[in-house]
Amino acid sequence: MEKLHFKYQATQPIDHPVHIGVVASGDLEVIMKPTDKTESELNIVTGSDGFKEVWQNVLTRFFARYPLLADFEINDFGATPGVVNLRLTQAMEALKDEQ
Amino acid sequence: MSEERNWATHREAKARKLAAISSLLDGKIAQTKDAKTLLEGLIAPGDKVVLEGDNQKQASFLSKTLAAVDPEKINNLHMIMSSISRPEHLDIFEDGIASKMDFSFAGPQSTRVSQMIADGTLKVGDIHTYLELYARLYVDLIPNVVLVAADKVDHEGNLYTGNNTEETPVIVEAAAFHDGIVIVQANEIVDKVPRVDIPSDWVDVVIPADEPYQLEPLFTRDPQNINELQILMGMMAIRGIYEKHNVQSVNHGVGFNTAAIELLLPTYGEQLGLKGKIVPNWEVNPTPTLIPAIESGWVKSIHSFGGEVGMEKYIAARPDVFFVGPDGSMRSNRAFGQMAGQYALDMFVGSTLQIDQYGNSSTVTNGRLSGFGGAPNMGSNPTGRRHSTPAWQSLRPDNDPLGKGQKLVVQMVETFGSNKRPVFVDSLDAVKVREEAKLANVPIMIYSEDTTHIVTEEGIAYLYKTDSMAERQAAIEAIAGVTPVGLRSNPDTVKDLRARGIVAFPEDIGVNRNQATRSLLAAQNMEDLVKWSKGLYNPPAKFRSWS
Amino acid sequence: MSNSFVELHARQRAEALLDAGSTRELIGPFDNMISPHLEPQGIVPEADDGIVVMKGTMAGKNAVVIAIEGSFQGGGIGEVSGAKIVAALEHVLADNKAGKTVYPIIILDTGGVRLQEANYGLLSISEIQNMIIALKKYVPVIGLVPGRVGSFGGMSITNALLSYVIGTDKARIGLNGPEVIEQEAGVKEWDSSDKNLIWNTLGTKQRQATGIIDEVVDDDVAAFKQAITSAINEKKDSQRDQRGDFYLSLLDQLDPSQPLDIAGYDKLFKQVTVKEHHLAPAVAGTEAGTKSRGRNWFEILTGIKNAQSEVPTVLHAQKDGREYIAIVPDEHNRFPRVQHGEVGLQEGYTVASVVNDLIAADKDKPATQKTPIVIVVDVPSQAYGYKEELIGIHMSLAAAASAYARARQAGHKVVAFIPGDAVSGGFLAQGLQSNRLVALDDLDITIQAMSKASSARITQRTIAELEEATKHVPAMAYDIENYQKLGSLYRLIEGVKGYDHDARAVGTVEAALDDAFASLDDAPTDLSFRYTNDIAVNGADGGRKATNQVRALMDQQWNA
Repeated sequence: MEKLHFKYQATQPIDHPVHIGVVASGDLEVIMKPTDKTESELNIVTGSDGFKEVWQNVLTRFFARYPLLADFEINDFGATPGVVNLRLTQAMEALKDEQ
Repeated sequence: MSEERNWATHREAKARKLAAISSLLDGKIAQTKDAKTLLEGLIAPGDKVVLEGDNQKQASFLSKTLAAVDPEKINNLHMIMSSISRPEHLDIFEDGIASKMDFSFAGPQSTRVSQMIADGTLKVGDIHTYLELYARLYVDLIPNVVLVAADKVDHEGNLYTGNNTEETPVIVEAAAFHDGIVIVQANEIVDKVPRVDIPSDWVDVVIPADEPYQLEPLFTRDPQNINELQILMGMMAIRGIYEKHNVQSVNHGVGFNTAAIELLLPTYGEQLGLKGKIVPNWEVNPTPTLIPAIESGWVKSIHSFGGEVGMEKYIAARPDVFFVGPDGSMRSNRAFGQMAGQYALDMFVGSTLQIDQYGNSSTVTNGRLSGFGGAPNMGSNPTGRRHSTPAWQSLRPDNDPLGKGQKLVVQMVETFGSNKRPVFVDSLDAVKVREEAKLANVPIMIYSEDTTHIVTEEGIAYLYKTDSMAERQAAIEAIAGVTPVGLRSNPDTVKDLRARGIVAFPEDIGVNRNQATRSLLAAQNMEDLVKWSKGLYNPPAKFRSWS
Repeated sequence: MSNSFVELHARQRAEALLDAGSTRELIGPFDNMISPHLEPQGIVPEADDGIVVMKGTMAGKNAVVIAIEGSFQGGGIGEVSGAKIVAALEHVLADNKAGKTVYPIIILDTGGVRLQEANYGLLSISEIQNMIIALKKYVPVIGLVPGRVGSFGGMSITNALLSYVIGTDKARIGLNGPEVIEQEAGVKEWDSSDKNLIWNTLGTKQRQATGIIDEVVDDDVAAFKQAITSAINEKKDSQRDQRGDFYLSLLDQLDPSQPLDIAGYDKLFKQVTVKEHHLAPAVAGTEAGTKSRGRNWFEILTGIKNAQSEVPTVLHAQKDGREYIAIVPDEHNRFPRVQHGEVGLQEGYTVASVVNDLIAADKDKPATQKTPIVIVVDVPSQAYGYKEELIGIHMSLAAAASAYARARQAGHKVVAFIPGDAVSGGFLAQGLQSNRLVALDDLDITIQAMSKASSARITQRTIAELEEATKHVPAMAYDIENYQKLGSLYRLIEGVKGYDHDARAVGTVEAALDDAFASLDDAPTDLSFRYTNDIAVNGADGGRKATNQVRALMDQQWNA
């Protein structure tokens, strides 16, 4: 298990929290909560050690496409980057649907 | 006048050997307990020996017996095997019974193969495609002895190989017509075989086995384990390739990606109105995930390389679709299947462990020399092909009056494997393995030039449309996610590639990511497949997940 | 195909059952109520700790769905997840008592105790069972076992206590998973790779035929809704915890030295002639019974030498107005799997019959005059065996747990005295339904959810890794002193060991028991002592802090 922490500049604040996913094998949960800060903070607990750079690459791409301003909590049980990206996108779409 | 040459030395040698063991035979039928004595009497040091075994069916009794022979009597054999699957296939090299190997595939034993080559315990002739290996049995690897497996054998020695006929005929024929010795292990000796798959006069010795030959349900994928990314990729493939190219005939490699496509045809394919328009004809093993597509009328014909455990009754009840003999059971044929895959199909869809920046792919990774079996045949473009189909023609370049079509060769991969290692790499591990194992060629499974499409969870690269290696690389980068290769991708280039139809993202081909859920699968678990089959499919116990 | 219920995750399952627009989740993923015990062991937590509590209406009726997420840590129950269930059920009980009918629906998809929180899991499960038994007096408590994990371990005992249980053919129910039985009793007892045998034995098809589950529906949301609605409307209650006479009669007609297959059991099940079973008190004998700490103290406390009983493994007797009940080893027992004192089929049902007889005898007495009960706890585990699972040992343990809980709820003071081992399902049946736990401070006592070998196998750790974890997490430890750090014990008796029998030791224990009973005058008849005492609330080494946080949060949110 490894804890990772990232910050990203973001411009689109969210106005209510969102939760998606389950901490099942090969999967993860993503929680986004509204924040007063000017950048998005991500606290990640991952079961797969040694993938900080891969996480950073996935997140950099995500925030380049969707600059959501929020506090993120992610609990990951060995998801591939493809699954991480899918869940992040689903959380984003859940926000969009509800708005 | 010089002395007349003896033109029948092989025949005489064979006759001598058979005469020496004739006391152990009743006609052609031997006793189980004499198996070792028979092999020691019929195989000579240095012989070329084919041991039947592909990725499903293994002549396991004969391989165990061969591993038990006295190395003083039998040694330095040159083994020819399409698949190195069982531990004793390699034990015989450690014991000196064999020294050289020509093979196609080494899945379960790939790590040990690598080590034994490095240690010098095993000399590799070549790593072949299946068709190559079969073809050489008739040219420069003509066998002295072949060891094969049959389901049922009658007292005359006629063989029934049934659903799992696979490569038995091509192996036996090479020996039977060149004075090689054909030794058969039998699950059962019967008064009358259901049908004759191999006639008795091609057979020399039949040994009843102590237990039925090993048979693995290798192509069965439990729909329970298909994930949303595989569904998304399946939707993209149906939309962006099957529909776009009007594909009529296809081979699916084994895996969850292709299983997802099979289970999406009756749902997503139906929604798109594609039923009756695409993929009526298949060259594929009888995978249970095809049952819903068959039952809902998508499939006209299926010819198979081999059988699949549990599918026997279902196949027997669908003779319009499968190749079923008058006795009511299927006959498979691996050699004909590979031939069909090479020459008759519009498309091959498979998967791999690594793809390099140019589009070459391989399942050989560090320390594992797996070989490839049928994929290099299925996944290559036979340039001599003449007959045309809409799909084949759709890949014809516009700017060349003499240009011809091409077979669609599709690789479907998630950008990272389940071990979180990138699938897209700058250089294949296979390059290193070649050096370590001192192989003549880099063990590439499918070459870039033959690969027409790559599908990932990010999108589709239409490689056949690229007109330079640089453009091909850019197209691969565009769908390679955050792998080292994908990180090089440039947004402006991607935009241009999308505009020119060289790269498509899901939204470009009308695929809705939110629709990619498991509820879109026509069957979500093995029990659903059993229900679709009206109870005719009988899954092996290891797939049991309901009461 | 159908609108699958099994495919859904816990939250989606709760939403699928409740009326659209009526739902409100309590202590959800945004409340940051995660398990404090997983990260220190290097395990990724989940924001809801694998339990979804959702209020809403079902076909217009007030309902609360409690759904266990089977794909997070195998649906195992830990401190937070357990406390969420208990707190929710407690509010449902309070609402129903106050005249507001609320229907609880529990979706089981669980391997039982979360082994990384071992003793917390066992405590929580006993507390869940207590609430279910209390609730059944007001409303049916409906259980769903959709599959794919099914219902195992301590939660299979919970399963047996539910009023009405509905499943699909993708679920299995059993106390011990085949891997654990293989580990504990050998591959000959049960080959855990034989999937056909597993499904034919534990699958709902067989379970329905033999009374372990009430209804098997198609894997379809609408089918579940319909089955739940009719169970509620018809107030269905299968009284699975009250079938002792049937099963004891069945066991009388069974020869445990012979193999028993499914067909043989089905035949036996249909042929049972039911006779009433009442166990006479133990009497003094001439030969010593198989030595054990439980027998030692039963004989001391009752004054019966070489106590013998018609059921050799269950001793009970009254002394000075208190009822003492012990499960003891019997090296020649006809059931081989209980020879070391394990709680087996016969033990659970027999203990239940003893307690039920006592409840009936004292039925008309005021609470203050009901006979107090001392449970003498020395149970190395439940019985691990194929026959035990085929017949449904979890139902036997549920019968005992139910009897003790009903006695306590009726006003009997129940004190568990722990001079020996207190392990797993055995402890859930024989001890954990008491309102006071009193133990000897003896490091030979093992108190845990599973043996080290099995726990290591199931959690895919080495025994060395497991032992490392036990050093840092008191709930993972196997000794009574760490157990005390959870706040579960009313008293740890110092200076007395399991096999002591001298006058000083006896006097010390008797005084401790007197004190425990005295503390129960005018005390609640529930299990709340365990999380409200000083160690539980303030203990530096864990206590039940997370439990209390969960409870406070549930209080806040219930009527918000």
